[in-house]
Parts: sequence; structure tokens; C-alpha cells
Amino acid sequence: MIDIIVFAILGTLAIAFSLLVVEHRSLVYGAISLGFLGIVNAALFALIGFTFIALFHLAVYVGAGVVFILFSVTMFREIPTVEIRVKRIALVIVTLIAISLAAIFWPYSNISVVAQSISYRELSKVFTEDYWFPFLVTTIALVTTLIEGITLARREAR
Amino acid sequence: MLNYFLFLVISFVMFAIGAYGLLSKRNMIRMLLSAEVMFNSALLTLLVLAATADPIRGGVVALIAIGVSATEIGVMISVGILFFKVRGEIDVYKLSKSREQKSRRLKT
Repeated sequence: MIDIIVFAILGTLAIAFSLLVVEHRSLVYGAISLGFLGIVNAALFALIGFTFIALFHLAVYVGAGVVFILFSVTMFREIPTVEIRVKRIALVIVTLIAISLAAIFWPYSNISVVAQSISYRELSKVFTEDYWFPFLVTTIALVTTLIEGITLARREAR
Repeated sequence: MLNYFLFLVISFVMFAIGAYGLLSKRNMIRMLLSAEVMFNSALLTLLVLAATADPIRGGVVALIAIGVSATEIGVMISVGILFFKVRGEIDVYKLSKSREQKSRRLKT
């Protein structure tokens, strides 16, 4: 019973923060809401049993990624951009996407999610033995981003 | 015991909100934030599906996805800062318009 209440609170918070990210006037508050969304998402991961992924999500995504967005956004001047008049079309398309996704997964609605207990030894073994190439590519991509960030920061405006 | 479908409903709603933001906004950073909402939704779907199929491999893919997402944030913010330095704005509509004008000028 407690897990259902926790899930209901987390689910409501996740949707509320998603709306704030998209609709808040200030970019800074939008970025802060994204950080809170990341925290709520990590709590949802922990609820399913993926505690390690939740911690990684908090450390890397919220701690590094979202904070980076937040600091960068403060550098931009806030420009109130006039939005394109496609809001209604976008709303219809998005509703159709959500309905079709729900229809696809409806047959699986009776399955219950049981909290998993993952062996970290096995996870690290699979990570280093079977997924070493994606890991290598991700590492190279991260290093490239670091170099790119430094290059752009040092570049002077003409 | 929680139902599998409840998680997916939350995920679909988040995905729909993110897609709406991506389609209807013109500010590059706002579009990035909307894409991040979609990423969070996709990650939740991946882990819920992995919990019912193969948690170890699903977990590994999620770890790599989070790393790639951090990279993507870095690249997008750098591009945004560069555009802001050069053009003084991050409105994608105006940026694409100026690109069209430039290509037209090159043709003539």
C-alpha cells in the first residue's frame, strides 16, 4: 500500500515538473525544474529496484548535466520569443502519440513490476565484457565534448 | 505490488509534454529542456521494461544512455552559447531564416 502512495506522489511530481520545464516563463526556473524532475525520476528508478542507476542518474545527470545547463542559462539574456502558432497542431500530434503508445502497451497492463535485486558484480561483468565498445564510444564522446567546451569558451567574438 | 502500466502511463504523459515543448517552442535552450524531459521519460520506460525482462542488461544500457545524455547536453549548450555569441539570439526560427538569406545571397 505504501509503495502505491509513494508512486502516486512521485508520478504527480514528475508530471508537474515536466509541465514546469516546458511552460515556465523563466529559463532558469525551467532548468531548476528539470533538476527536480531528475531527482523524482531517480526516486522512481529506486522504487523499481534500480538503486545503482538512481544514484548514477543523480550524480551524472542531475549533478553534472542539469547543473551545467543551469549555469549556462544564467549567461543568456532572457529573450521573450514569440512562439509559432502551431500549439494546437502540436497538442493534437502529441495526444495522438500518447494514445497510440498507450494502445501499444495496453496488452501488458496486467503485468506487475517487482522490485529487482541486481547483483552489482554481474552488472559490472556484463558492462566490461559485453558492452565495452559502447562504453569506449561514450567515453570518447565525453572527452570530445570537454575539448569542444574548452575550445568554444576560449573562442573570442569577432 | 505496482502495476507495470502505471509507470508507462506516467512515462507517456512525460513524453507527450516533452514532445509538445519541442514542437511548439522556438528558443533553442527551451527545446533542449523539452528534449531532456523526453529523455527522462524514455529512460523510465527502458528501466520498467528491463525490470520485467532482463534487469542487468537494461541497467547497463541505462548507464550508457545517461552518459550519452550528459554529452548531448554539453554539445547543445556549447552550440547555444556559440550562436548567442555570434548572433546575439537563440531563436531557431530567426537562425534558420538568416541561413536561408545567406544561401540566397550566395546563389545570386
